Amino acid sequence: MTHALLFVEDVHVEKDGSSILRGVTLQVRPGEIVGVLGRNGAGKSSLAYSIMGIGRYRPSRGQIRFDGEDLLPLSVTDRARRGISLAWQHPARYEGISVRDYLRLSSQRVTEGMMEDALSRVMLDPPYLDRMVDKSLSGGERKRIELASIFLMHPRLSVLDEPDSGVDLLALGEIMTLFRTLSEGGNAVLIITHREDVAAACDRSYLMCGGRMILEGSAEAVKRYFLSQCSPCTELEPEIVKEVC
Amino acid sequence: MAFDAASEYTTLVSIASETGGQGASVGSADAVYVVVHANKILASHPLPGVTIDATEKEDGIEAFITVDDGVVLSKQVHLCFGHLGTEGRQVITSHVSIGARARATFLAHCIFPNAVEFLHAMEGDIVVGEGAEFTYNEVHVHGPEGRISVKPVSRVVLHDRALYRGDFTLVEGRVGDLDILIDVDARGVGSRVELTSKVYGKDDDQCRVQDFVRLNGAGSTALVKAKVVLRDASSGLFHGLVEGAAAGARGHVDCTEVIQGAAKAEASPVVRVTHPEAEVTHEAAIGRIADDKIEGLMAKGLDEAQAVDVIVSGLLR
Ligand SMILES: Nc1ncnc2c1ncn2[C@@H]1O[C@H](COP(=O)(O)OP(=O)(O)OP(=O)(O)O)[C@@H](O)[C@H]1O
Ligand SMILES: [Mg+2]
Repeated sequence: MTHALLFVEDVHVEKDGSSILRGVTLQVRPGEIVGVLGRNGAGKSSLAYSIMGIGRYRPSRGQIRFDGEDLLPLSVTDRARRGISLAWQHPARYEGISVRDYLRLSSQRVTEGMMEDALSRVMLDPPYLDRMVDKSLSGGERKRIELASIFLMHPRLSVLDEPDSGVDLLALGEIMTLFRTLSEGGNAVLIITHREDVAAACDRSYLMCGGRMILEGSAEAVKRYFLSQCSPCTELEPEIVKEVC
Repeated sequence: MAFDAASEYTTLVSIASETGGQGASVGSADAVYVVVHANKILASHPLPGVTIDATEKEDGIEAFITVDDGVVLSKQVHLCFGHLGTEGRQVITSHVSIGARARATFLAHCIFPNAVEFLHAMEGDIVVGEGAEFTYNEVHVHGPEGRISVKPVSRVVLHDRALYRGDFTLVEGRVGDLDILIDVDARGVGSRVELTSKVYGKDDDQCRVQDFVRLNGAGSTALVKAKVVLRDASSGLFHGLVEGAAAGARGHVDCTEVIQGAAKAEASPVVRVTHPEAEVTHEAAIGRIADDKIEGLMAKGLDEAQAVDVIVSGLLR
C-alpha cells in the first residue's frame, strides 16, 4: 500500500473544557481525493484547522504527519510551505485587496493568464480580478475565489472545508474536474462536504460524528450509511472506525 | 553626509516619482513644481495662471502659491520637500490661494529617507475661492529607523461652493512623532470638505491626528475619515471634530483604528451641532486584525508579519 501523505492518528482537541475531537484517525494517500461527511457540529472544520495548525485547535494528544514529518511543532506558515493549504468554510474578507492581488499571493510566478484560467475553472469572468476580496463579494463568489487561489498554489495537500456549500452554480462534473486536477501528480485532496454527490464521487470517504471517524470506506458506501443512519440521526455511534467494504 | 544640489534634486525627484504617482512630471515643461532640499529651493517652475513666490529662510522656506481665477490645471502640482541628511529641521510656511472657479491638485512629497533626529514642520494657510476645487495630497516617505517629528498644520478657508479635499498618507517607514492638525472653516454657502488621513505606526511611533471642520456655511458638508493602524508599541490618538453651525449643514466623522501587538489607540470623534437644522454623525471603531484574516494568509505561505503587512496595506489603500 502506498504510504500516507497525510497521517492523522488518535487526535484529540479540547476547547473550553469540552472535547471537540475525540480520537480522530484518518489517512490520505498521494493522488487520492478523500471525502469527509458528517452532520453539523461533528468536528469536520476542527479537524481541518488542526491539520493546518490553527493555534486554537492544537491537539492535546495524537499525531499528525505529512509525508512522514511530524506537523505538530510547525506553524501554519511552515505547514503551508511544506505544501498544505486550507480553503476555509467561511474564508476571511480583506478590505482594499483586489482579487488580482489576492491570487498573486498564491504563488510568485502567477501571470495574468494563469489567474484568468483559475477563475474560469470556478466559473468566474476575468473582470472579477478587479473586484475586492471584501464584503462586496457574495458568499459563493468568495468561496470560488478561494478555490481559484488554491488551484494556483498547487498544494501537495488541499484541505477544502465545504468548498461547495453556497457555490450552487458549479455542477458536479466541474467541481470534480477541478479536484481531479488538484490531485494530479501525486497531490491529494481532502474534501469536507455536505453534498452527497460530491462525497460519492471521491475515491474514499470517512463519516465523522461526535469528534470521531465512525466509518471509513468506499465513498458510495459511506454516503449510503450517512443517508440511512445520520439523517435523521440514529445516535448509533459505533466504536471508532468500522470498515464497510 | 554631503550632497550636492544636483544629486539632491535627482534623489528627491526619483523618490517622489516612486511614491506619488505622476512624479515623473516633476521637471517637465508642462508641469508646475517646486523642489526644496533643507532650506534650498532647487527648482521652482510656475506656468501661466500660477504664481510661485518662494524665499529661503534660516531653516526652511516660505512660499506664496496662487492659482488665478478660472485656471484649471490638468496636471498635479508637485511640491517636493525633503532632506537627505540624518538630522536637522525644515520648516515650510506656505500660503496657497486658489482663485474663483479654478481647479487644482497639489501633491506634496515629504521625503526624509535617512532622518534619525529631525523636525519637519509645515504651516500652511489655504484659501479656496468661490466655486473652486482644490485637492491637497500629502505623502510622506520616512526611513525605517529613527525618530522624526512631523508637525503639519493646515488652516483652510472655503468660500461659496468651494471644495477642499485633503488626503494625508504616512504609511512608509517610521512615522516617528506625528502631530497633524487640519482646521477647516467651511464658511461658504454649499462648500464641501473631504478629509482622509491614513497612518501606519510602528515600533514606538506616536501619531496624533486632529481634524477640525466647522460647517459655518449654509448647506456646507464634510466627510472626515481617518484610518490609523498601529503595531508594536506605537500609540495613536484621533481627534475629529465636526461642528454643524448653519442651516442644512451635514457632516460625518469616521475613524477606524486597528491595533496589533502592544499598540495603544484612542479615538474621540466629536460632533457638535449649534444650528437646529444641521446634522452631524460619527462612527469610530478600534479593533485588532482578526486571527482568521492573518491565518488565512499564513495558509498561503506568508509569515505572520508579512500577513499583517498585506492586510494593513489593504486597509490603508
Ligand atoms: N473555538 C471553539 N470553542 C468552543 N467550541 C467549539 C469551538 N470550535 C468548535 N467548537 C465546537 O466543536 C464542535 C465541532 O465544530 P466544527 O466547527 O468542527 O463542526 P463541523 O463539523 O465543521 O460543523 P458544520 O457542518 O456546521 O460546519 C461543535 O459542537 C462546535 O460548537
Ligand atoms: Mg464546519
